[in-house]
This record gives sequence, C-alpha cells and structure tokens, in this order.
Amino acid sequence: MATSDTDLLGKPLTEQERALMSVYEELKKLAAQDDLPPCAARNVRRALMSMWQATNDLNLQFEQLYEFGV
Amino acid sequence: MAYSEFWNPKNETLPREQLQALQLLKLRRLCEWAYATTPFHQRKFDAAGFKPEQLKTLDDVHRIPFMTREEWMESLLEKPLFGDILATDQKNAIRYHLTSGTTGRTPIRVLDSMKDWDWIAEMWCYGMWGFGVRPEDIVYFAFGYGSFIGFWGAHYACEKMGALVIPGGAQTTEARINQIIEMGATTVCSTPTYALHLWQKAKEMGIDLAKEGKVNKLILSGEPAGSIPAVKQQLEEAWGAKCGDTAGMTEIGTIMIFECSHQSGGTHIIEDHFIEEVLNPSTDEPVGYNELGERVVTSFGRGFIPLIRYRTRDMVMKVPASTCKCGRTWDLYSGGIRGRWDDMKLIRGTNVYPRAVEAIIREYIAIDEFQIYIWRKEEVQDEITIKLELKPGHETEWVVLQHKLAKDLANAHEGLRFNIERMDYGVLPHFELKAKRLVDARPVAQY
Repeated sequence: MATSDTDLLGKPLTEQERALMSVYEELKKLAAQDDLPPCAARNVRRALMSMWQATNDLNLQFEQLYEFGV
Repeated sequence: MAYSEFWNPKNETLPREQLQALQLLKLRRLCEWAYATTPFHQRKFDAAGFKPEQLKTLDDVHRIPFMTREEWMESLLEKPLFGDILATDQKNAIRYHLTSGTTGRTPIRVLDSMKDWDWIAEMWCYGMWGFGVRPEDIVYFAFGYGSFIGFWGAHYACEKMGALVIPGGAQTTEARINQIIEMGATTVCSTPTYALHLWQKAKEMGIDLAKEGKVNKLILSGEPAGSIPAVKQQLEEAWGAKCGDTAGMTEIGTIMIFECSHQSGGTHIIEDHFIEEVLNPSTDEPVGYNELGERVVTSFGRGFIPLIRYRTRDMVMKVPASTCKCGRTWDLYSGGIRGRWDDMKLIRGTNVYPRAVEAIIREYIAIDEFQIYIWRKEEVQDEITIKLELKPGHETEWVVLQHKLAKDLANAHEGLRFNIERMDYGVLPHFELKAKRLVDARPVAQY
C-alpha cells in the first residue's frame, strides 16, 4: 500500500517521486473544483491524465479517475 | 542527447519477485474495482464463488474465472451497444473503437476515458522507445485512421515522445512512398504485409527504399509475420532498416508485447501493466517456459472495461527474460504471436471469423454454396475471396449481389476489402456434413 512516504511496493519515495505525487494530488484537487472556467477545467484534466501515467508507471498509485471525468 | 535505453527504467529492470508483488497488488485492486462496478464481472465472480480477497499470492489468479470473447458478445447482444461490462458512465468516454465480432455483423465495441486513452499511448511508448524511437525521429504512419484501433495509440505515443508524426491516412501507396522519401521519415509503422507492398510499389516506381530513403526502423503490428524470420529478413533487406515486432488487440486497446532493439527473437511482455498467463488450451493448466500454449491476458490499464483472465486463443511460447541481453526483467514470447488455437484468420490486420462471414453470406437466399478462400497476392499481400455459386434461377441477381455482399462484409470487418467471385454451378464442393468452406492457401510460417 502506498503512503505519502512509500510507493506501492513499500519502497521509500525519491525526491523526484515525491514531487510528481505532489503535482498529481494538486491536480486532483483542482479537478474537483466545479467552478473553474472551461479552459482551466479541461486542461487540468488533460494534465491529470498525463500525471496519472507517470505516477502509475512509477508504482506511486493505482487508482481510477472517472469521478473527475478523466 | 543521451537517453535512457528504457522508457521506465524502474519497472523494466524490477527484480521479478517485486514485479510479481506489484502484479498481485494491482490484480486484487482491479478485481475489487470490476466486482464493484460491472454486473458482468459481478455475475461471473459470484457464479465461480470467487472473491477478490482470496487473492493472497499470484498463483491464486487461477481462482478467477476466465473471460471469453463469446461471453462479451452475448453481453453486448443482450444489452446493446456495450453490454453490462462498462465500469463507469458512458459520459466519461472520449474514444470509441471496434473490432469485428465472432458471429454475424455485431462488432465488439469499446470505450475509453481520457486517462485510458492516454494509457494506450503509454504502452506504445514502452514498445517504441524500447525499439529505439526517440524525439529526433520522423515517424510515418501507413495507416487509415478509422474506427479500427490499429496504430492510433502508436501515433499518440510518438507525439508524447516528441517525435515528428506524419499521419499517412487515406492516400495511395504511391503518394505514401513519395511522402516517406520527401519528409525523410526515419521510422515507418505498418503491417508486415503492407510494408512489403510499399517496397514492391516503390520498386515499380524506380525507387530503392534502402538507398534513397532514410528509414532505419520499421515498427510492425497487426499480423504475426513481424516475428517470422524469413519475412523479417526480407523486409530488413528491402528497406535497409531494422524491423521490430509488436502485438496488441482492440480488447485491451494497445500492445502488450514488443521487440526491443536487441532483437533477441522474441517480444517482451509489458509485465508491470499486464499479467500474461500461458495455458494448455485443453486442460487450462499453466505450461512452462519453452512450451506452446494459449495466452490469457489481464490488463491493468483500461478501467472502463476491465479485462480479467481474457482467453485470447493466441498461440505463444514464453521464454525467460534472460533470453534477451537488454537487461529487462520482463519475460518474452519467443517468435511473438505464433498463430491461433481457433479458426480466426488475420487478414491485413483485421480479425476474420469464418462463422461471422458465413452468417452474413447466409442472409442472401440467392447463394447456394460458397468458399472462403484466403491467399497471398504476388507473395506480399493477403487477400480474402468469397467464391460463390448462385442457385439456379437467381443469375440475374449477380451484379447487385456482388456489390452488396462486398459492402456488407466490409462493414462488418472494419472496412476490409473482400473479393467476390462467382463460380459456375457445381464447381465448388457441396457438403452435407462437416462442411469445410475455408481454404487458407497462404504459405505456412516457418520459425
């Protein structure tokens, strides 16, 4: 189980991995806001889609994002 | 600029014990997701008495019931258009694709969300980067860009990697050759058959692709020939380029195996995103390394349509990662996809099930007997011809029937061209029992 300090395999996160997860979590928070203008709302989702790949490839998370329409 | 040889160094070199721990964790979570969200999987799991929490080790994968194409087809026939297999609301989809079905006109339809679609490209990134595609490359796609999933994922993978993408699209072969030369393409993505056709057409145009082109990599997909040594050698000599095999399927949306730049004679399995089991197709028991079996795939990517223990009927032979010297810890399929355990035929990248073709032909009461004849044109291009006899008294219907049947068959097969040929009455074999209406006259692959 991943925590804020480890990946899915329980390995400690590197500084880069920590930064990647931080961006990913921030994007999720932004995507949850329903008053963003379309230009922000849709591009945040595109960015979240991309960050999902990086963080999933690196075993930092394995989850679905359909609640954000992503 | 110096690049890593691996798209994802962390997982491509992950010790196998850790790789399997990752697969187990993802498998359990995928099963929980599928059970909670799709009536299709809930029904199957309940019928088999399987619960996701029973997954304690990777060997427990055998507790999960198989998923078959036939079940999927039944589901979407009972509940058009997508069956009861969607894990989320259709409004979350941004992509629709299809593949020809096993029976009649109904295709298998798939949907992808934004992240699923990007994951499809991500898997192609693993494969294309692994074969040596880099941001400096100019990549030409000899691909028609329709509802057939084909190279769509590879296209977006190249954009993601920063390569220059040239979408070939609907052009003549001559125009495509001119564009490959004019733009200085370094990589061409194509089916093996079409890559041979491009070379042959270039020769007719007086162009020597090996000398006049800049292509140094051919990325092949859609047909097993990309791993057949004789075909590969012919293509590599003709183009003066390395040929890398890949294989995927619409059901998962992308590739699950790829040949790396070390060209060890096999295709690596992307094991951090898939579980690929190889089973004896008769007993369903796992087979060991170096034994032929049927591949059964579980995909961790497309959450929209969870694919768990899906029986592919593909014939493969798994070999250990150490077979290749690239340093990846991922096992390989020696010789890629070697064939089929069922009667499905692959024609220019399109799946053709003889029983689906027959179902359409049988809608025409004027047709008495028929034969599905698959052959190779000028040693390069696979063709499918329906030879048919009309019932006496229906001869005047031929002209209209010929065009309509070709159109109906193409519509059910992602636009694949079917040749329709009328035979004199009594020429074709007529059957009462155990009809053999399929003739595959193509040369047999030698590994």
